[in-house]
Amino acid sequence: MGPNNHISNSGKARNTKFAIKEFLSSIRPYRFSILFSVLLSIGSATLGLFIPKILGDMTNIAVNTYPEIDWGQIGTKAIIVVVLFCSSAILNYGQAFILAVVSANYTKDLREKILTKISRLPISYFDKHKYGDTLSRMTNDIDVITTSMSQEIADITLSLTTLLGVMILMLTISVPLSLISFIVVPLSVIVVGKITNFAQKYFREQQATLGVLNSKIEEDYAGQIIIKSNSYEKAAIDSFNASNQKLAKAATRAQIFSSLSFPATHVFTNLGYIAICILGGAFVIDGRINIGNIQAFIQYVSRFNRPITEIAATTATIQSLLAASERIFEFLAEEEEEPDKEPSITIKDIRGEVEFHNVGFSYLPDTPVIRNLSIKVRPGMKVAIVGPTGAGKTTLINLLMRFYEPTSGYITIDGVPIHDMKRSDVRKLFGMVLQDTWLFNGSVYDNLRYGRADATMDDVIRAAKSSNVDHVIEVLPKTYRSEISEDSDNISAGEKQLITIARAMVANPPMMILDEATSNVDTRTEQLIQDSFEKLTHGRTSFVIAHRLSTIRNSDLILVMRDGAVVEQGNHEELLKANGFYAELYNSQFTT
Amino acid sequence: MFRLFKYLRPYWWQVAILLVATGGQVYATLQLPALMADIINNGIVPQNMDSVWKDGGLMLVLALVSAVASFVSSYFSAKIGAYFSRDLRAEVFTKILNFSLADTKNFSTASLITRTTNDVNQIQMIITMMLSILIRAPLFCIFGLVMAIQTAPEMSWIIVVGITAVVISVIIIMSLVGPKFKIFQKLIDKVTLITRENLTGLKVIRAFNNEELEHKKFTNTNNELTKLLIFIDRILELQNPLINIIFNGTTLLCSWIGLSLLSQNFAYLGNMTAFSEYVTFVMMSFLMLSLFFIMIPRANVSAGRINELLKTTEKIHFVKETRGIPEKRASVEFRNVGFSYTDAAEKVLDNISFKAIAGQTTAFIGSTGSGKSTLINLVPRFYEATSGEILIDGINIRDYSKEDLIRRIGLVPQRGVLFAGTVSSNIRFGAPNATEAEIKQAAEIAQAATFIEKLPGGYSAHIAQGGTNVSGGQKQRLSIARAICKKPDIFIFDDAFSALDMKTDAKLRKALKPITSDAVVLIVAQRVSTIKDADQIIVLNNGKMVGKGTHKELISNCKVYQSIVKSQLSDAEWRKETNGAK
Repeated sequence: MGPNNHISNSGKARNTKFAIKEFLSSIRPYRFSILFSVLLSIGSATLGLFIPKILGDMTNIAVNTYPEIDWGQIGTKAIIVVVLFCSSAILNYGQAFILAVVSANYTKDLREKILTKISRLPISYFDKHKYGDTLSRMTNDIDVITTSMSQEIADITLSLTTLLGVMILMLTISVPLSLISFIVVPLSVIVVGKITNFAQKYFREQQATLGVLNSKIEEDYAGQIIIKSNSYEKAAIDSFNASNQKLAKAATRAQIFSSLSFPATHVFTNLGYIAICILGGAFVIDGRINIGNIQAFIQYVSRFNRPITEIAATTATIQSLLAASERIFEFLAEEEEEPDKEPSITIKDIRGEVEFHNVGFSYLPDTPVIRNLSIKVRPGMKVAIVGPTGAGKTTLINLLMRFYEPTSGYITIDGVPIHDMKRSDVRKLFGMVLQDTWLFNGSVYDNLRYGRADATMDDVIRAAKSSNVDHVIEVLPKTYRSEISEDSDNISAGEKQLITIARAMVANPPMMILDEATSNVDTRTEQLIQDSFEKLTHGRTSFVIAHRLSTIRNSDLILVMRDGAVVEQGNHEELLKANGFYAELYNSQFTT
Repeated sequence: MFRLFKYLRPYWWQVAILLVATGGQVYATLQLPALMADIINNGIVPQNMDSVWKDGGLMLVLALVSAVASFVSSYFSAKIGAYFSRDLRAEVFTKILNFSLADTKNFSTASLITRTTNDVNQIQMIITMMLSILIRAPLFCIFGLVMAIQTAPEMSWIIVVGITAVVISVIIIMSLVGPKFKIFQKLIDKVTLITRENLTGLKVIRAFNNEELEHKKFTNTNNELTKLLIFIDRILELQNPLINIIFNGTTLLCSWIGLSLLSQNFAYLGNMTAFSEYVTFVMMSFLMLSLFFIMIPRANVSAGRINELLKTTEKIHFVKETRGIPEKRASVEFRNVGFSYTDAAEKVLDNISFKAIAGQTTAFIGSTGSGKSTLINLVPRFYEATSGEILIDGINIRDYSKEDLIRRIGLVPQRGVLFAGTVSSNIRFGAPNATEAEIKQAAEIAQAATFIEKLPGGYSAHIAQGGTNVSGGQKQRLSIARAICKKPDIFIFDDAFSALDMKTDAKLRKALKPITSDAVVLIVAQRVSTIKDADQIIVLNNGKMVGKGTHKELISNCKVYQSIVKSQLSDAEWRKETNGAK
């Protein structure tokens, strides 16, 4: 969990109605289980309520038959008490168990839904939203729901049932005494409610300052080298101390208020308790009530205390439950990718001719990223795409892979419009090697056969050899069975790119897309990458977002892009002769 | 854990007040049942209303005392907890900021962040809990036991039975569930991991049409997690009903025994009610204490991680004042310098010697792992050379005060690092007194002026944390401007130009020329074109210097350099280069 997530999670739900509606409809499949567990919980609480009354009866019997105490009658009562608390406990366990199963399964469904949603959202969604944000819905928000669901439903039912039951039983013992005790209820609720409100306000303040402090820590640690090389330590520590002091103040306030509700209700319930002791005493002396009943009544009054504090505390948890489910359902409600066309066209014997017909693309109306782009790529051509950052090179690739859909115009492969094909069929035609060398946690072997699940170890080794990465894999502790991941540090960035090239080789697609790495690859590895990519693109239509002049020079077609349009195209010599934008880009390398 | 208690020392008098207040609160709360027993025995049974009023009044006073005491104790426990963690956090932060890069590397930045944030928060939580539970529960226990035995000594064995039952049930449940928690945490981590992979590998997964495969992987883990969760809950949920049975059983036992003692002493009528309340208090405290001790190991993990940090001793010491008089002309000289991480036997750098003087550019080139970055990090003493010596302006760097050393150096690291603030505040970072004109000039040289002026607000435009609202190339240019603005004697560019396109790279180097005429320039680079014109190129391979000279010299006599150049040029250009050299 990123330490930065604190701020986003502490708030209330912004659209409470939406959150409640979605939450209720999503737990609908479990409504009978939940109802059953509520019934069990009511049963358990009700059974427990009779215990003080019967204990009081025992006292009455003893007092009335004193000194010849009737142990037979008392024994029967005692057995009833044992039966009552045992069966109450069994029912209690039953309800808790059912709820635990429900909440485990419910959150399992939610997790599943989120993951499925991730695979159905258009790629452009993730251009606008940070991964961390989506990830925190899967982790933090789900966590909030798991804990609050199994806890709160049980607690609320239990508290309400106990409160109601205790009230009824108290009324049966003595109406005037009960009314006096009941005055405590609204008083406590109001005071605890107020305190909880304050506590939440300060709690949010605390979380916000904590968020500020945490980002400061993160920033300073990440930039330690800059702080050190500018003698900035003292200033950094001063600024940290100021935030730290603020946090200590906010934390004190939040803690005080959140720990205050217990003593506050305690004052009221104690006052009620004392009043009952005094008045009850007077009533017994007057003969209006017997001693066993006053004893039972006093026990009920002390049982009155807990549910009130609990109900007050629950409102805070419910708020965070709603905030969490709002964030989850908001995500689940995001617009998905358009479904594939039915029926779709499949290309049988692919030649590899790619054409862009007046293609345009924009995220926002009026700000085109790609403008009226038309290109024709003949089978087997090596195409290099060059141009400054933001020219639309990556977007072009994304359109080709149908990660984005053009806002105007269309793209064809062998004459077939790709929007008439299944997305998966289009993507099958391309092998992709990205700058961002994504590897998943798993063995080298599993990573290499990611594009073709039925590849044998031999296939994998052959591909690794021909992409010059076998010597890297051979020295790993378990060679091809070694576990690797995104952040493995025993493999360099360049070697990771070699692995992704081998991965594409195993998949053996008819066409290739490569986004060249710009930096942080040493020259030797760089050479290996170029060499293996050369092999990979041999005889295949290929698109390269190129940064290396050697790659560019070896291409059949160079597309020079600027501001979303292809401004020049041709091969290296032609373009140099034209003495335009390309020539300017190229010449800048050797001027000093 | 307990080693961290020394941070409570400054708050000893607050802890003392807390102790007294908690004691008062516990005492007052525990007197109430006794008084109630008194009302029954001396007021109700003999029908004496005066006694009822007297005891009732006393109860009222005690209730108020208890309320005030509990306000005071919550105030101080909150305050002590918050300020304790403030001190701890500051200590950790200061410590880490003064770490050498070797230490930082040792711990990894991510782990340092969790230690300063999550671990400190964990400990704060435990301390706050300790201040309330660990003080209150034993007090309740002791006072409760005393009061219980006083009211009904014949019944005290019931307490032993009750406590034993509570402790045993907690221990059994926790020993069943405890080990499963570790597996649970692992599965949760796995779910997070797969989700993260699905997010970061979005394009690759779709490009390979592997959505189904990923989904299957996830479902397996998700099912496993759900199963385990249900298993844990099935046992954990036993706790409440069990505790309820124990509490109710004890109350019944109290009534039964109390009634049977009635024939000896009629006062047991009131006493047994009070007694059963005391027993409940005592058992409750034991329950809290045992739950608390279950949490201790978890807190110990955090405490251990923080202690490990605080125990790390600073390895690099600076002298207070610079010893010796530096030469007028700036220079950097390495004399047989070697470096190895303490725990690694292999030398990262071995026997490096060269001298770089003002007005000249010295470049370092070599493959990944050749030691280029480590070499230049020795100059500002981010790492300490393990053999040989490094001289700046003729003085050993160990004889410089920290301020004097750092003031001379302008460093641009590989990754452009920016801080939250404005464009100006970032450029001014190393020279707090720089004027607006100086900032602008630095930006212009760094080829950053054009894009800065386009930003909303220009030089006062907001920079987000980590500089996420500017592009990689822009970040790099701003961090170059930051180094220029400092006007150092020694510029160090650690592969700082690779994020720039070749055109900007060339322009920038041209603009740098005039301001570096009196400065030493050290450049680490990947591209040959960046360093071709350097006065001195040092070629590194596996930590050893395998070549030193100009581009022309090296191209004819250094094999490693030749292969590097060859990989970056076309055949035609390569021929041209080698011909030129001959």
